[in-house]
Amino acid sequence: MEKITPSKGFKLKLAGMPDTSIIRLPRPATVGVSALDIPHIRPKLLVKEKEAVKTGTPLFHDKRDPDIRYVSPGTGTVKQIRFGPRRSLIEVVIALDSMDDFVEFDPVSPAGLGSLSDQDLIDRLKQGGVWQTLRQLPARDTADSSTAPPLIIVCLNGNDLFSPHPGRVLQDRVKQFEFGLAILRRFSDRIIVAARKSSMNRLGPVSERITHQVADIYPAWDPGAILYHIKTKAEENQAWYIHAEGLIRMARFLETGRYPVETMVTVTKGHDKKPHMITRLGSPVHLLAGNFPAGSMITTGQLNGRKVDPDTHLGFFETTLNILPDAPEDEMFGFLRPGLNKPTVSKTFLSCLVNREVQLDGTLHGEERACINCGYCETICPVDLMPSFIMKALHGDDIEEALQLGLLDCCRCGLCSFTCPSKIELTQILSLGMDTHHKDKQG
Amino acid sequence: MNPIKKIFDLLEHDFSESGNFAKLAPLFDATKTFFFLPSPKTRLGPFIRDHLDLKRYMSVVLLSLMPVLFFGMYNTGFQSGLARGESLDFWSAFLSGAWVVMPIIIVSYAVGFFWEILFAAIRRHPISEGFLVTGMLFPLTLPPTIPLWQVALGISFGVVIGKEIFGGTGRNILNPALTARAFVFFSYPVTMSGNIWVAGADAVDGITGATALAVTADGGTSLTATLADQGFSLPHLFFGLVPGSIGETSALCCLIGAAILILTRIANFRIILGGIAGLILTALLAWLLPGTYGTWADAGPLFHLCAGGFLFGITFMATDPVSAPGTNPGRWIFGFLIGFLTVVLRVANPAFAEGVMLAILFMNVFAPLLDHLIMKQRISKRIPNV
Ligand code: SF4
Ligand code: SF4
Repeated sequence: MEKITPSKGFKLKLAGMPDTSIIRLPRPATVGVSALDIPHIRPKLLVKEKEAVKTGTPLFHDKRDPDIRYVSPGTGTVKQIRFGPRRSLIEVVIALDSMDDFVEFDPVSPAGLGSLSDQDLIDRLKQGGVWQTLRQLPARDTADSSTAPPLIIVCLNGNDLFSPHPGRVLQDRVKQFEFGLAILRRFSDRIIVAARKSSMNRLGPVSERITHQVADIYPAWDPGAILYHIKTKAEENQAWYIHAEGLIRMARFLETGRYPVETMVTVTKGHDKKPHMITRLGSPVHLLAGNFPAGSMITTGQLNGRKVDPDTHLGFFETTLNILPDAPEDEMFGFLRPGLNKPTVSKTFLSCLVNREVQLDGTLHGEERACINCGYCETICPVDLMPSFIMKALHGDDIEEALQLGLLDCCRCGLCSFTCPSKIELTQILSLGMDTHHKDKQG
Repeated sequence: MNPIKKIFDLLEHDFSESGNFAKLAPLFDATKTFFFLPSPKTRLGPFIRDHLDLKRYMSVVLLSLMPVLFFGMYNTGFQSGLARGESLDFWSAFLSGAWVVMPIIIVSYAVGFFWEILFAAIRRHPISEGFLVTGMLFPLTLPPTIPLWQVALGISFGVVIGKEIFGGTGRNILNPALTARAFVFFSYPVTMSGNIWVAGADAVDGITGATALAVTADGGTSLTATLADQGFSLPHLFFGLVPGSIGETSALCCLIGAAILILTRIANFRIILGGIAGLILTALLAWLLPGTYGTWADAGPLFHLCAGGFLFGITFMATDPVSAPGTNPGRWIFGFLIGFLTVVLRVANPAFAEGVMLAILFMNVFAPLLDHLIMKQRISKRIPNV
């Protein structure tokens, strides 16, 4: 087992680590499939409102590759199709019946895997709506099944600091985990299994499979950050990755021939220690979040997720919700105070002298200004980029220079924006640059 | 609700897009956010943000300037007392010094803010906090005897030519405070260099006092001995009870400021340490040169370090991130060359008594080039993506 210990990253201690106990949530009245958490997708709807759907019925597919379909995680009727500005799809909402009726496929046992050809295996996974759990770096698009990946990274930890503990996700699922690895070996000989150091306990037999243990410094366990530290040549940039939940979903789908609808979610709220929750895929956000103070912000990752509306549903890839409090009133002479209660990664408030768990709210703590070249963004970037220089290249429309500076290594962790004293939306600017490049390349 | 907040809420409308004073919106915003730290909701990820913002950033720089400012006030009073042959107690020295220094600072801020607001209104952007620092740095580099109209002219030049012409804060190549100082230096050399006037408490007394750097030894004695003779012994220079620019005389106070800036990581320590290393090494080399007896080449590293404005410049001017390099190796080289050039200028051209100002401005110009070279080298070390 190798160790990855990056020197840069997020070193504040945030409050909110969930409890490792598990509860099972009641069956929700509705489930949804969101389009908002699917990178690059151009969705085409396959159902209409009021239409009856089974568990596993495709609801929409990706116009760029119609074989990539997103299926219903429940049986019932299409209650609503929600659109955002310019008729962009937000989500398809299903009102659940009391019983599940599945779209059935022939089960494939681990022993039977060998008799399936590569193409059959890929087709089956795509039909079942689970292929897209495999993603491809650097754009994080759906893995391109027509290419062979140089390596596949299995990330046991989710995107957020407080994503579900892999020991909980994989509990009683060791067989499926092994099966999942067997599936991945059909696509590449080089499988990396990475877990956070703090997750190494409770992993049981799975710990034997870990090839890389990464330090507990966010975002060291992100696939992009892992790849950055292990890659030795340019071809490896196209690595695929999959999260533990996705791997299990793939294996369970093959094993049972039915779309697996269960998932595990964590919800963090200040100093509350909430248990891990087992719930249905695409559960309503308000069901998961419970009660929260007015003005709170709900995100699917406080540093690299998206903001969610409590009336929508959790996305296909999302496993955590952070409830961030509203800011207190504007403070008189706020910038002159010693700041014992103002968490910062800099050394400009007294809070940096006390080492305790802190809670941050969902506000900017300042206003946007021009870049002053202070270098904070570079000091924190986990993949050694100089975000301010890349930003300037992108503003000058010099994508070539941005690429040379390593733009595509950016793992969208959000830390540069987090730390910038001029409150520049660096992550957003870099992400847009990467997405535009990806789109241009796809033609 | 807080009464001050109420006033702002009442006035908000007049300064909005449709209000009577829409043009002055930046002034209103700046005043309002000075009282109440704004914290709008994050619209884009990451949704949590650090508490450090530019207001805090610049406040820390101002804090680090307090020792040199207060000492400068005291010293101004003390020197003028000395010039008149009185020996003042601490408070009367401090107050009489403050009486001279405060108008200079007030003029610098008032005139500078006028330009800032004007450009902010024309360009429709908020006023950058950076000027809080520029407006304080500039007066500290001036002799206390400077006429106020020169202060006004200098800061105008610094803000308009040194910064706004380039497109405003963040795009300026030169440090604006230093640009202002250089302007005054070259336009009004009599007030700035050589023999400076020592300010009196109520009027300019007309007694001249030379700054340390203007001293040269007459044949026979060594420079350091001559310096000591004229009141510039090393301890005097270190503690700063000598005539000179308001904020630059005390090496000790500059070092305290440097410590604050380095501990809070606001200034990059590489620039300061690189600068000191460059100065010491070059001064040592110059000292070893034969045939320099009695000139500044013979002064040795400690005198070079403590005399003149080097420590002030390297601590507060060279570390201005906007005009310094943005790469770490670049910062080391930048600092080192400033130290090197300072000594070279002092030794080679005694007419420019203060080498550090030119050294920093010169290196400001080369900062982008240094960055460019370092980035080339960094790019070659990355595994390419495409
Ligand atoms: S942290 Fe912000 S202000 Fe500082 S260099 Fe980076 S982009 Fe510029
Ligand atoms: S550039 Fe910003 S978002 Fe990208 S990896 Fe670096 S810190 Fe994270």
